[in-house]
Amino acid sequence: MGSIKRISKELTELTESPPEGITVELADESNVYEWKITMEGPEGSPYHNGKFLVKLSLPTEYPFKPPTVSFATKIYHPNVTNDEKGSMCLGMLRADEWKPSSKIAAVLQFARQLLSEPMPDDAVEGRIAEQYKNDRVRYEEVAREWTRKHAC
Amino acid sequence: MSTSVTASTSLPDSPRPSRLRRFSLRTYSPLPSGQHSYRHSLSSRIPWLSNPGSTSPTDSAAPCPESDHPSLSRYTSAPAPSFGFGTELNSQVSSTESAASTPSNDLPQRTNPMARLRSVSSVHRPPPRTLERANNSQEPAPPSEPGPVQRTATEPTSEPANAPADGQVTPSKSETKATIRFFPYQDALQSSRPSLPFVPVARTLPSESCVIRVGRYSERDGVPLPNPTEPSDAPVGFKSKVVSRKHCEFLYVNGQWHIKDVGSSSGTFLNHMRLSQPNMVSRLYSIKDGDIVQLGIDFRGGEEMIFRCVRIRIECNRSWQQQPNEFNKNTESLIKNLGKGETADYSGCRECSICLGSVLRPYQCLFMAACAHVWHYKCISRLLHSPDYPMFQCPNCRAFTDLSAEVDDSNDAEEKREKEATEDRASNHSSEQPGTEAPSAVETNSTEGPPDQLGDLAEEENLADDVENLHLQDDQQTDDTRSSASPAPNSSTDDLARSATINIPGWQPTQPLSVPSGRPSQLRSDTPTSDDNPLTPRNDSGPLAFDGRAGMP
Repeated sequence: MGSIKRISKELTELTESPPEGITVELADESNVYEWKITMEGPEGSPYHNGKFLVKLSLPTEYPFKPPTVSFATKIYHPNVTNDEKGSMCLGMLRADEWKPSSKIAAVLQFARQLLSEPMPDDAVEGRIAEQYKNDRVRYEEVAREWTRKHAC
Repeated sequence: MSTSVTASTSLPDSPRPSRLRRFSLRTYSPLPSGQHSYRHSLSSRIPWLSNPGSTSPTDSAAPCPESDHPSLSRYTSAPAPSFGFGTELNSQVSSTESAASTPSNDLPQRTNPMARLRSVSSVHRPPPRTLERANNSQEPAPPSEPGPVQRTATEPTSEPANAPADGQVTPSKSETKATIRFFPYQDALQSSRPSLPFVPVARTLPSESCVIRVGRYSERDGVPLPNPTEPSDAPVGFKSKVVSRKHCEFLYVNGQWHIKDVGSSSGTFLNHMRLSQPNMVSRLYSIKDGDIVQLGIDFRGGEEMIFRCVRIRIECNRSWQQQPNEFNKNTESLIKNLGKGETADYSGCRECSICLGSVLRPYQCLFMAACAHVWHYKCISRLLHSPDYPMFQCPNCRAFTDLSAEVDDSNDAEEKREKEATEDRASNHSSEQPGTEAPSAVETNSTEGPPDQLGDLAEEENLADDVENLHLQDDQQTDDTRSSASPAPNSSTDDLARSATINIPGWQPTQPLSVPSGRPSQLRSDTPTSDDNPLTPRNDSGPLAFDGRAGMP
């Protein structure tokens, strides 16, 4: 399978020189399609000091189909669903925006960027988005508390 | 002979004004924001992600008529009583026959349906002398000058995603030629229903004041020229009854492409925003690369091809990519140095964006798109042999390439194109089944530009002659192939008989030059669903039944 070759290549690259605040490993050594990522909350965001477990699963058609990213750690964020799935809404991962030339490293960096700069306009959690827009202080409070409770 | 009536006039008219008012009210009531702004804001915030198709300034503010389709569908075109492309085509053929009934040469007769197509389209084509003159007139141009199709554009060479919207184009007086291309677009998100398939269309304006009129395919406008090699503002026709005869226009104003609805009955939509009310002329809206223009709305669920709306993906301001630039020149030199001993340094070589391995090493099968992005053939083949064939969208820059396009050998970038064409051929051969009409088209394509014959084009005065000889051979070859091939399928015997009687005088040899090969290939891709072949629409619509589902996502 061609995808395995590419995936292992990306995995090697990411483990050898991981992007800032991101560590990558396979969830199961025998399965390159499921990744376990630890993402540190970026400095300056209410998620700082938190360690978030992110699951990334790759379709067998990768890189022709986009990977999916979900937060295993609960997080208070407008762009992450507040359920047990913790699905993250990333524009670049939508089927029609995905480009095979995008790499997982870019996806992860973008996901981390989203932690420091939520996009309330593309929110999946409308309530949190409202709060983010209208009551930033309260939002940061709750997000910090959730981070303390779930991600430390 | 066409008795088509526009949609609006064939509708029962009495309650119309009131419905109209209600319709427009509802159509223009803005939706709660957020639905359509999604893609826009995302991609605008992350420029390196941005899909040009999603960053329209109008996108986020677009009122969304989608919710209103039941009422909209009342105003989509009703089926016109008689359409009859098939018969009209035939009659044209017969007229060609009579016109050409004095055989003035002994060329081997083309015994395939393509010949019929060619002869039909040739009726509206300039005679070959013009073509040759056109070729000769290119002589004074410096060798680096791109061919007529490439030469066309004067858009700035900036980022593709950012360039189009600004409209800050600096047209240089001598070569102010605007090019626009229309590709069929299938909306993966909004609806699973396909829009009308059509051959990609390219237009280069002969002068800035020209207008490209878009409407329903009409015999009066002549057989459409999908991809003329010379500047043309020929109208663009779509074989769908939801397209009005005068539907919209594309204009090039101050270095910026614009679209205008010219009073269509079922609407022109720019990135889902309707430009004007039914039968009203809209103002000019600027368009840019990647915009989606939809003509009309699916009628009766769009189950029949002839009732499908047309979704066009606009490609403009891309010409910088087709002219020599640093990137593709670099690629060219890399390719030239392939396998030239150990001196070659592969450290800086390109990465295949599919497997992330290095490409441009010797002894690999590669594929290069017109945008000079290169991949391993194995890696990219999945995208080549897609249902969209002959359309290929570059996964790196999203530029579209028509893989069935005629090989353009008129500029110094020809080697690359040659390569691309080679790959193209390879894909053609491997993907087509023998015994259908396809092989003939493929043969014709692939014998058109043998590298050894076209390799030495520095003396362009020989070009015309070369080409002529070449196509004479070409004819021979196609004929041979066919006679040695298995008997033609039953379906085409009729065509065989008809085209056998056509003798096209004089200009036959150069004919393939001007024949847009997109056409046969489109037919080819249509063959599986022969019921829906746009050339032979069924007219069994009966009483006007509106099922209310038209255009629903």
